[in-house]
Amino acid sequence: MSTPLLDVRGLGKTYDSGAAAVQAVRDVSFTANAGDFVAIVGPSGSGKTTLLAMIGGLLAPTTGSILVGGRDIARMSSRELARYRRDSVGYVFQANNLLPYLTGRENLMVIASIRRGDRRAASARADRLLGELGVVGRAGAVATELSGGERQRIAIGRALMNDPLFVLVDEPTASLDSVRGRQVVELLMTEVKSRDKLGIMVTHDLAMAQLADRVFELHDGELVRDSRPAVLG
Amino acid sequence: MIGLIELRRRKLQFGLITLVVALISYLVLMINGLGVGLNVQAGSALRNFNAESIAYSDKAGLSVIRSELSETTVQAIGEANGGRPTAPIGYVAANYERANGSVRSAAFFGYEPGTIGEPNVISGRTLDGSDRRSVLADSTFLEYAGFKVGDTITVTVRLTAQEFTIVGEVDEGAFFFQPALYVLLDSWRELKYGPPASGQPEASIVLVKGRSQVGRETQGYEVVDKATAFANIEGVEGQDATVEALRFFGFIIGGLVIAVFFYVITLQKVAHIGVLKAVGASSGFVFWQLLVQVLAMTVVAAAVSVPLAWVTDRALRTIPDQVPIAFTTGTYVYTIAGMFIVSVLGTLISGRQVMKVDPIIALGQQQ
Repeated sequence: MSTPLLDVRGLGKTYDSGAAAVQAVRDVSFTANAGDFVAIVGPSGSGKTTLLAMIGGLLAPTTGSILVGGRDIARMSSRELARYRRDSVGYVFQANNLLPYLTGRENLMVIASIRRGDRRAASARADRLLGELGVVGRAGAVATELSGGERQRIAIGRALMNDPLFVLVDEPTASLDSVRGRQVVELLMTEVKSRDKLGIMVTHDLAMAQLADRVFELHDGELVRDSRPAVLG
Repeated sequence: MIGLIELRRRKLQFGLITLVVALISYLVLMINGLGVGLNVQAGSALRNFNAESIAYSDKAGLSVIRSELSETTVQAIGEANGGRPTAPIGYVAANYERANGSVRSAAFFGYEPGTIGEPNVISGRTLDGSDRRSVLADSTFLEYAGFKVGDTITVTVRLTAQEFTIVGEVDEGAFFFQPALYVLLDSWRELKYGPPASGQPEASIVLVKGRSQVGRETQGYEVVDKATAFANIEGVEGQDATVEALRFFGFIIGGLVIAVFFYVITLQKVAHIGVLKAVGASSGFVFWQLLVQVLAMTVVAAAVSVPLAWVTDRALRTIPDQVPIAFTTGTYVYTIAGMFIVSVLGTLISGRQVMKVDPIIALGQQQ
């Protein structure tokens, strides 16, 4: 049996806020492979985003390990984590978080600047992604002039710019209506699966979660169900 | 380079900060220019003497104004200099009447033609031994007093008036905030002490080539190098200390203002920095963007403040009895270099903030 791309074992996160310690994530374990599109659902405060942040190298776990290709990112230094995020992770944030003073295309090219690779190849990749995402005509507009859907597509493009192992998505439909939300999730799935990436999406929208291959349900930080959408109750 | 793109897209915000940096640079430039100008007025004529050291009476406390040397002492200084040239110089402040009738004071230096005390004439002619009623005038004197070579000036001292004809123009500067004029040593003696009489001093000071006598204090005279001589001009020490204090506080306060502005910019960008870090940017990458912005703003600020200071300098020069501001290339270079250093140091404070930004903020509130 081959090593899974992502192997999460006994993962836990406790926030110390004065006298009261809050266990946001408790003993979560799962594996996932390239080509999977996983949705994490659960009520507010169930630890969805905390789990996503730990997998994305933004937050250090209190217990457990996150093995990516055999390497435990829970043991990485902040410098190694920055490199991990730069090379292995593509993030689509809830508020899309584009840099507002940059154009859509420049928001993609930021990743190239950070990676310091071949600018010409990066430029061609940005153009190709913008074309595939259907926003090439709006790529020259400053982020603040783009619509919510356009910004979300640009954010997806940015997440794919570094050809990551994972695409981690936090509430991608929060600011969109149901039709546009569904379009964005379908687009994400298409992009992720066609590139053989592992997609992990946090959402509170069960209808969107049903589009995924697998759904993890979190309650009070615990993974209570790992299911296929067909069996989601 | 996203730092530069941000500068271009947020022109108003960065433009205002650049304006503040430019005005601070201008202020520091003016303070430094004032320092240079005051030093020029205080003793550029002394600095321009063709000698490395100066001999004073040992009772004068290194004051050109109070120093008086006898003929014997002047000879002793010359003999002690091992064949290297020396030249007696007399000094007296005297009033003259400007072309417009107003009365001003000038620094009259007496010298002997052919010695190292002879100033360099840039137009007209030098004095010869028979020019007892002739004078060489500094170009600033001619400009502001309204005279030209060939004119006659009336000099009053000790309740007497004497007329001198300007025969040449020199560019030697000023002494004790008065324009420098050069007469024969005998003419100086008559101006200061009246008709020749026995026992009159031979000179005020002696210019000494070389530094071999520096530190010597014997036979009624003492020798110091020119820098020490300049520092001992009455008032120069206090003036230098004042200008240094102004310069220091200018840099400190300017630097703090710049640092605070850059810090505020950094605080405003914390969310953006968080996003950059979340997508893999190192603190170094983010700091580099910030530094590029700061350096670009400082370059623009310098490009504004230097011409502004230059124009101010030119404008002030057209006014008689102008504010004593003077700029040298060094004034511009050192001041702007100082502003760059201060800006970079200010950015380092912001750099600490950059280091502290946690990329988790890109996710907003955690669930």
